[in-house]
Amino acid sequence: MTNDGDLLVIDRILAGEQNLYAGLVDRYKSYVYTIAYKILLNRPEAEEAAQDTFIKAYHHLKSFNREAKFSTWLYRIAFNTAISYKRKHRHDFQSIETVVISHAGESEGPLEKNDKKRFLNQAMAKLGEADRTALSLFYLQEFSLEEIAEIMSMQANTVKVRIHRARQRVADELKLILQKEALTL
Amino acid sequence: MKKVTQQSDDMLLDFLDGKLTNEQQAAVSESLRQDSALRERLEQLRFVHEAMIPAYLETPSKNFTASVMGKLDQQPAPRGLSIRNGLFLLAGIVMVLTIAVVLLSSGVFDQTTTVNLNNNELTQRFIKQSLPAFSIDGKVLVNAIILLNIVVAFLVLDRAILKPFFQRRMESM
Repeated sequence: MTNDGDLLVIDRILAGEQNLYAGLVDRYKSYVYTIAYKILLNRPEAEEAAQDTFIKAYHHLKSFNREAKFSTWLYRIAFNTAISYKRKHRHDFQSIETVVISHAGESEGPLEKNDKKRFLNQAMAKLGEADRTALSLFYLQEFSLEEIAEIMSMQANTVKVRIHRARQRVADELKLILQKEALTL
Repeated sequence: MKKVTQQSDDMLLDFLDGKLTNEQQAAVSESLRQDSALRERLEQLRFVHEAMIPAYLETPSKNFTASVMGKLDQQPAPRGLSIRNGLFLLAGIVMVLTIAVVLLSSGVFDQTTTVNLNNNELTQRFIKQSLPAFSIDGKVLVNAIILLNIVVAFLVLDRAILKPFFQRRMESM
């Protein structure tokens, strides 16, 4: 659905048809959840942050600037909400999943697709949350650099540099991980 | 082995993304033919590129939408300090204020300290001109700190305790 379609739905929600909001939640939940997950690396926390994002967006729907895209506005709320969750729960965040990522499937064989993903997740976990989010949004291939910049409240050039540096860092981390793997074989 | 520079890394990433002109692409291909370190680096970056594509969306729980719709009438989680943390912060500020006032009234800060930079070994060694001496009135300094603390205490009381408290009362009515 286009932004115009979203705007029509928003008008009806503001007029009192609250149940239509479920349609917007359904449409954007995966993106919002993905953004939250890339920052928090913890599924229950990402779920909570994503739900909180939709609740905040609903309560601020009146103040949504119609010149902007609804999705970009929503993803910016998701980004900020997840970042503030991360700050709030900083001490709890040696995520179980990160630990699982680093050890799961160590006995698996050659470098198959799953291994590729596993190693990639390990390398991605070494990035800062902003770099990880920028890189993930970039590879979803649905956002321009300008949109990613808007979501993350940064300059487009800064985002471009961050994505370049993040890819280099991931490549370096993967090299180290693969060297370690080779030694354990 | 020759180290790959930041500039060549950027060029390789643009090469992978297909963002180079034909001439630039030809130049990169030529560099790759001649430089094994560059070829190895391209393979590392290509590995990341191919592992990331297609990036997949994470999926939330099945009852995600229902949970959100069930919570729509709740106010979103408040930002900043909770009432409990606000009370702790306020208690800390009040304690510091009390100690400062007690010490002030007992005359601990009545002295005036004069700082003479010319007595400092470093200034004597590096600055040939004489520097002005200045005095610090302990009482004035502590009074300023107390005043600042009172302002902070009022802000904490308002933002973290009174405002959320009355908001909750309004919601429950």
